[in-house]
Amino acid sequence: MDWVLFALIAIPVGAVLVFMLIPSRYPQLVRNVAVVSGFAMFVLSVLVFVKYEFGGGSGLRFDLQLDWLENVAFLGENGITYHLAVDGISAPMVLLTGIVIFAGVFISWNIDYRNKDYFVLLFLLVSGVFGVFLSLDLFFLFFFYEVAVLPMYLLIAVWGASSHFGTFTRTKEYAAMKLVLYLVGGSVLIFIGIIATFMEAGQGTFDLPVLGAVTYDENFQKAVFPLFALGFGILAGLWPFHTWSPDGHVAAPTAVSMLHAGVLMKLGAFGILRVAITLFPEGAEFWAPVLMTLGVTGALYGAVSAMAQRDLKYMVGYSSVSHMGFVLMGLATLTTIGVNGAVLQMFAHGVMTALMFAMVGAVYDQAHVRDMTLFGGLAQKTPRLAAFFAIAGLSSLGLPGLAGFVAEFHIFVGTFRAGYEWAGVLGILAAAITATYILRMLAMAFFGPFNERWAGLKEMRLGEQFGGALLIVFIVFMGVWPAPFIDRISESVEFILRV
Amino acid sequence: MIPIENFLVLSGILFSIGIYGVLARRNAVLIIMSVELMLQAVSINFIAFAVYLHPEQFTGLIFAIFVITIAAAEVGLALGIILRIFRNKGTANVDEVDMLKW
Amino acid sequence: MEEAWLIPALPAAAFVILLLFGKYLPRHGDWLAIGAIATSFVLFFFVLADLLDDMVGTEFDKALGQSGIEWVSFGDFELRLGFQVDQLAIVMLAVVTFITLMVLVYSTGYMKGDPRYGWYFAAISLFAAAMLTLVLADNFLLLYAAWEGVGFGSYLLIGFWHEKRSATEAAKKAFITTRIGDVGLLIGIILLWREAGTFDMSEIFEFAESGGYSSEYLTMAVLFLFAGAVGKSAQFPLHVWLPDAMEGPTPVSALIHAATMVVAGVYLVARLMPLFAAADPIALNVVTAIGLTTVMMSATMGLVATDIKRVIAYSTINSLGLMMVALGSLSVSAAMLYLFAHSFFKALLFLSAGSVIHATERQEVSELGGLARRMPVTAAVFAVGALSMAGIVPLAGFWAKDEILNVAGDSQNFVVYGFLMLSVFITALYMTRVVILTFLGEPRDREAHQHAHDAEPVMTLPLLLLAGLTVMAGFVVFDGVGEALGFPGGIGEFVFLEGPEAFHFPWDVAVLSTLSAVAGLAGGFYFWSGAAEPARRAGELFRPAYEILKRKFFMDDIYQWAIDRVVLAAGGVIAWFDRNVVNDTGVDGSARLGVFAGFGMKFLETGKLPNYALAIVTGVIVLAIVFMVVRV
Repeated sequence: MDWVLFALIAIPVGAVLVFMLIPSRYPQLVRNVAVVSGFAMFVLSVLVFVKYEFGGGSGLRFDLQLDWLENVAFLGENGITYHLAVDGISAPMVLLTGIVIFAGVFISWNIDYRNKDYFVLLFLLVSGVFGVFLSLDLFFLFFFYEVAVLPMYLLIAVWGASSHFGTFTRTKEYAAMKLVLYLVGGSVLIFIGIIATFMEAGQGTFDLPVLGAVTYDENFQKAVFPLFALGFGILAGLWPFHTWSPDGHVAAPTAVSMLHAGVLMKLGAFGILRVAITLFPEGAEFWAPVLMTLGVTGALYGAVSAMAQRDLKYMVGYSSVSHMGFVLMGLATLTTIGVNGAVLQMFAHGVMTALMFAMVGAVYDQAHVRDMTLFGGLAQKTPRLAAFFAIAGLSSLGLPGLAGFVAEFHIFVGTFRAGYEWAGVLGILAAAITATYILRMLAMAFFGPFNERWAGLKEMRLGEQFGGALLIVFIVFMGVWPAPFIDRISESVEFILRV
Repeated sequence: MIPIENFLVLSGILFSIGIYGVLARRNAVLIIMSVELMLQAVSINFIAFAVYLHPEQFTGLIFAIFVITIAAAEVGLALGIILRIFRNKGTANVDEVDMLKW
Repeated sequence: MEEAWLIPALPAAAFVILLLFGKYLPRHGDWLAIGAIATSFVLFFFVLADLLDDMVGTEFDKALGQSGIEWVSFGDFELRLGFQVDQLAIVMLAVVTFITLMVLVYSTGYMKGDPRYGWYFAAISLFAAAMLTLVLADNFLLLYAAWEGVGFGSYLLIGFWHEKRSATEAAKKAFITTRIGDVGLLIGIILLWREAGTFDMSEIFEFAESGGYSSEYLTMAVLFLFAGAVGKSAQFPLHVWLPDAMEGPTPVSALIHAATMVVAGVYLVARLMPLFAAADPIALNVVTAIGLTTVMMSATMGLVATDIKRVIAYSTINSLGLMMVALGSLSVSAAMLYLFAHSFFKALLFLSAGSVIHATERQEVSELGGLARRMPVTAAVFAVGALSMAGIVPLAGFWAKDEILNVAGDSQNFVVYGFLMLSVFITALYMTRVVILTFLGEPRDREAHQHAHDAEPVMTLPLLLLAGLTVMAGFVVFDGVGEALGFPGGIGEFVFLEGPEAFHFPWDVAVLSTLSAVAGLAGGFYFWSGAAEPARRAGELFRPAYEILKRKFFMDDIYQWAIDRVVLAAGGVIAWFDRNVVNDTGVDGSARLGVFAGFGMKFLETGKLPNYALAIVTGVIVLAIVFMVVRV
């Protein structure tokens, strides 16, 4: 079965090559190839998730290790290897990526301007995302991380949209630049951390399981943990390094926002868990209160900011900051329950925020504005769109039966167990504030008397409906029956936390 | 055998003259000539040390040949650039050629 | 008892089917929703029979009534979802299944022709499923999930006519207000779990009994839990959502905002009574105080409300407060008895008000009047409901209210008792007022009056059934009636906390409360009959008081002020802070610093060759000196 992991990265790369060979006068062919390869990735990711076998140990499955660089003077025998594997944490993340890219292809159907180049970059990004989730080699993890980040720049700067607000303007170039500078800044820290870890371990290898078996000096752990936590944390929307995220989301085209908020931000949290917490447990313990404080602040701050937004995308963007704050809270608990909750939240937020962005995109495509005060009563004209949007919103405000609740519940329980009562209380409060801004948005844009200005508005395209329905299936599935997720996650989390 | 100090003093003098030339001259051709002087000073050092320290090895000598080769290439390139500049601006005075600023 | 899970599962299945295929079913599938809930109602009798079989004397073997599945489990953390049936749950089951059935039947007439007819039945099925789950849950997690679920159902149904701005706003207000209480509920649940390590209610009760919680800890936890009940049961200070919730269709008000969801808070406190009893007495005092405040505020506000539904809504808040006072007096029996009786007469009131609204399309009492002549049946059943609410012998409301007054008199001080008696008077007063203004006197809107007539049979039949029950439900307090129904000793021996509570009938309380109620009736007729001249004069005489009541004690204004000036302002400040300080100063500022530094540095690049040469030479010399001094 280890070919699956190889294929997961190879398919998007292969699709990129195929796109490049297609003459740009056949845009429909490009779309078809995108759908086929998107479907292949979706099926394989489901396969990885379903076929994941339980049974203790490190929880690494489908282990695939190919030599890449060895016997180079300063590297040891297994210096850099193309080491892929999935564990219980990356399995749901891989599934998430498969879902979001498959839905994203349908959402991107109407992109006409240089759609070949668009899909090249989009799939390149996806290959990077899969790579990060699957790599067990720090070098490749870093490599794929960069592959996932850099296409963002062009995707936003070329296909994005600038926004003009009364008092200020956010151009897409500004957003793209800020996003990439921020993330590259984060990766500088990660890179320093990787080199430091490599030198300190003295094993001559970047292989994560080998590095994980080493016990590092306590002071070293305390010094290096923040490098990783901050570097990855920037991608995870760690307050106060979050401002790239709402601006980036707003400027990006719909499918890119979906991937970005849905999957890319998870890379950061995943990195913290996979690298920082796994390698430096004592460092994690030392810095956990700080991470918790920043996480809670982000959760509350994002929620309150979202409440003040009128632009639909900004609202969703800030809600992402808020929800990623929950993820960081869960990670900072360093208890099985809390970290489980964090991973669940990564999945849940990925699916529901992708759905929200897809729906905002569906409105924006037709209306060309996103100011919620300009709408009104859209539910009468586009009931499905309203229903989909409402489901995403309800999941994000933590309605039981939908994905968000399961995750948030675990996180709150974890914070209380870890002894951060104040953080738990504030987190629950932030979840209540989420209800305020979601319902306020629904009331403003979708309910109330119909605004005749939008008489020409039509229901979503069929592709959008399909993409949305796909995401909803998983939102409901995880909300009603989370055991398949939790069984996988908890096994690996227990291994990482050494309980 | 001639003491090594003699070679070192010679190369030092040559090098200093070169530096003086580079800093004080304004004509581009003269500056290149000064640079050549400095390179040759270094070559002398290479050869001297090679002979005095490791007579059985040729490392230093080979480096000297490298230096000569590169110096020749460099002069060829530099003279080409200077010719173009002279054609364009009618002068080879480096003070008047400051296109590459800011 | 194993089939108990079917009771919520049937409406849930009906919801899913209606949601996906409702459009293609004949009559949009209303028969499916009704059939599902009717089957649940039938199943209730089987469950009841099972439960009575399990009872040995008055003892009840709890373990028999439990079933469940493992939902999540890892390490030492386990979430079991299970159902349990006990006496508390059985009372609620009876109420919820029956009232839902009545309301659905009524709705086939009331909602006829609505463009979202099918969706209405789907939403009610969803609500019923959540409500029945709430009733049957044997653990706090499922309870919380169902708790949010009924809130969501209420949100959907209040905002059913979402074209109306006011309905949308009311739905939002209801959800958010109750959500504020739910913050407390969730915190309380987690606090209980943290010490006990389980979400299972009976295990937590055992843990509390064995002294696992310290007194302060438990008090704090139950007060947090009580916040959830305050939100859901519209207690002061979170009562503001309930009057606004009347924007929903009237049958919805009857079902959700009178008989079922709003009593969930009462049910929760009754369920948790072992914890309240084990906690510091302060907890119960808080319950009593909140309940009493709610009673007095809602009763007085009911006096001046002019919308027929809002008057009934205030009377609902009033009743809920009464139940809380009963619980504060540690009497589950009295509270559940009132809950039982209340569900019938309050649903009756709402549904007959619905008939009035349906017939006249008016809601303001100032536009009604004299309807008794045109809609005699509706008027009669409304009067029965109103009298029951006022507490007139021998209607259900009388027995229940009497029991509450009795336990309050026993365990509370005379101030509480006195206020309760006063509230009985005021209740009778405003119930009389609404009856007079709606059904008696001269019609104030001729046109509406002309068209008014009793509703069709499908709507009238539930009214008559409910009226019958309103008359009879109170008799369950008697031993004989209980025996006939299978639980000897009456409801007090069936639903109780620690020991069976026999029904008391102290004459002093009965006489006093009847006197108050009759005084209220008489006062009502004095003030509002005819041209209502005395009422107008009283209103002018106590102008400030009238204004305060009319403005609902300024609660809405205070909240609005807090939302505008505190919450939204804080949001604005944070958003401004984020844009201007964090982003424009912190992020762009540091970027600009880099640009500025680069701008300054670029002047070092003169483009003059000698300068560069000099720099190189100086650099080499400096480095040489450094190396010589440091001697690397």
